[in-house]
Amino acid sequence: LAAPPKEPLLMCRSNNYPKGFYCSWHLPTPTYIPNSFNISVIHGTREMVCEKDVFPKNRCHIRYLQLFSTVKYKVTLTVTNALGKNSTTLTFDEFTIVKPDPPENVVAKPVPNNPRRLEVSWQNPSSWPDPESFPLKFFLRYRPLILDQWQHVELSDGTSHTITDAYAGKEYIIQVAAKDNDIGTWSDWSVAVHATPWTEEPKHLTTEAQVAETTSTSTSSFMPPPTTKICDKGAVVGSGAVAVCWTAGLVLAAYGVLFI
Amino acid sequence: MAAADSPSTALRRRDLCSRGVRLAGKMRLDVISLLDTYVERQGLDASVSVAAVEGVPVAAVERWDEQTGTQRLLENLEAYRAFRVLLAQMLEEQREQLGEADTALGRALAAVLLQVSAFAYHLEELLRLESRGPPSEEEAELPPPPQLSLFEQKLRGLGVLRELAQWALRSTRDLRQLTKASPGSGSVPSPPDSP
Repeated sequence: LAAPPKEPLLMCRSNNYPKGFYCSWHLPTPTYIPNSFNISVIHGTREMVCEKDVFPKNRCHIRYLQLFSTVKYKVTLTVTNALGKNSTTLTFDEFTIVKPDPPENVVAKPVPNNPRRLEVSWQNPSSWPDPESFPLKFFLRYRPLILDQWQHVELSDGTSHTITDAYAGKEYIIQVAAKDNDIGTWSDWSVAVHATPWTEEPKHLTTEAQVAETTSTSTSSFMPPPTTKICDKGAVVGSGAVAVCWTAGLVLAAYGVLFI
Repeated sequence: MAAADSPSTALRRRDLCSRGVRLAGKMRLDVISLLDTYVERQGLDASVSVAAVEGVPVAAVERWDEQTGTQRLLENLEAYRAFRVLLAQMLEEQREQLGEADTALGRALAAVLLQVSAFAYHLEELLRLESRGPPSEEEAELPPPPQLSLFEQKLRGLGVLRELAQWALRSTRDLRQLTKASPGSGSVPSPPDSP
């Protein structure tokens, strides 16, 4: 059944600061008859032009004519159809609606010979026009697929980061978000990428196990990573105690990997 | 910017710009914090609109990206010299209104005033690297404060602090523009024998 429009939902955002911002809208429930939308943008005493997009039709763009203004913007959207009209108004400061698009081209790679590291890199969103004058900061989150809890890192510059505390051999999911260094809110999370830290090839394990049988000291692929100290430094006295300490460590590390 | 800078001048400018960005960033955070304290202590509504206040430098600017480096520095310096006087007036009014009753707001105002003075000096240093040099202080004289009711004084103070917060943000952006434009900022290739 045809209906008059309900109060429309209006959103305004700047993902290309300082060039301008856009507003988009939609109706909470359909009217089943044609609607027309009229948007007005007022800044102080000045009425600004909101250029409608061809597609999607429910969006328009405004160029910032001034920057660093303390005067709020007032955006009013009116929707009209044959059965009635309705409107909504948003009032905001220039700096509160700044929200970049997510970072692009997020890449995560293992680091050769480093079983606990992952190298992550990304790019500024292409919609952000001047990252040199308006730098972005970033928030990276990562977790192994088998766990629910995220680790977070905030980065004030650069578009790369090395994770150094990954669980060996576990696949990770990684995402990045961006925010203007000084104003606005965080972007949505980037597309997720997956990566697994470097591990030694199985055939190399076989080779080294064979070598270990014929020599008295050797390294093993099950060597626990340097950060996972099994034995107290103070407890290690003499080479015999060291050998016992490492053996216990190897066994515990192997069990640890099995149960994560 | 002055043409044919010596390498030491270019490095000095870049260093001053970088430090200026950090100073402005810290100042902005402190002004925002001061705004919260001011609104609370003065019993104001944080969302109240304040009309443009006479004598308060307006941060809003058109065609910001087209400004020259010298224009940016001069406009910034003029603004902060004015804020130095305005904040001193606010501090005096605060002491007259409340005496020693509210020292937290007085201390916060005094701390921001100090930062504004330091930043103005920093801008003067940057302008000294320009052939023009900073304008003399007499050019930035403000008229005496208008006779206002207590409520009008409070609103005026709110307007001053809001505009100062925007200026601190603009200064951060302006100095980054200057860093981008100056030689040795990274956009110029390093000589082959540098580490």
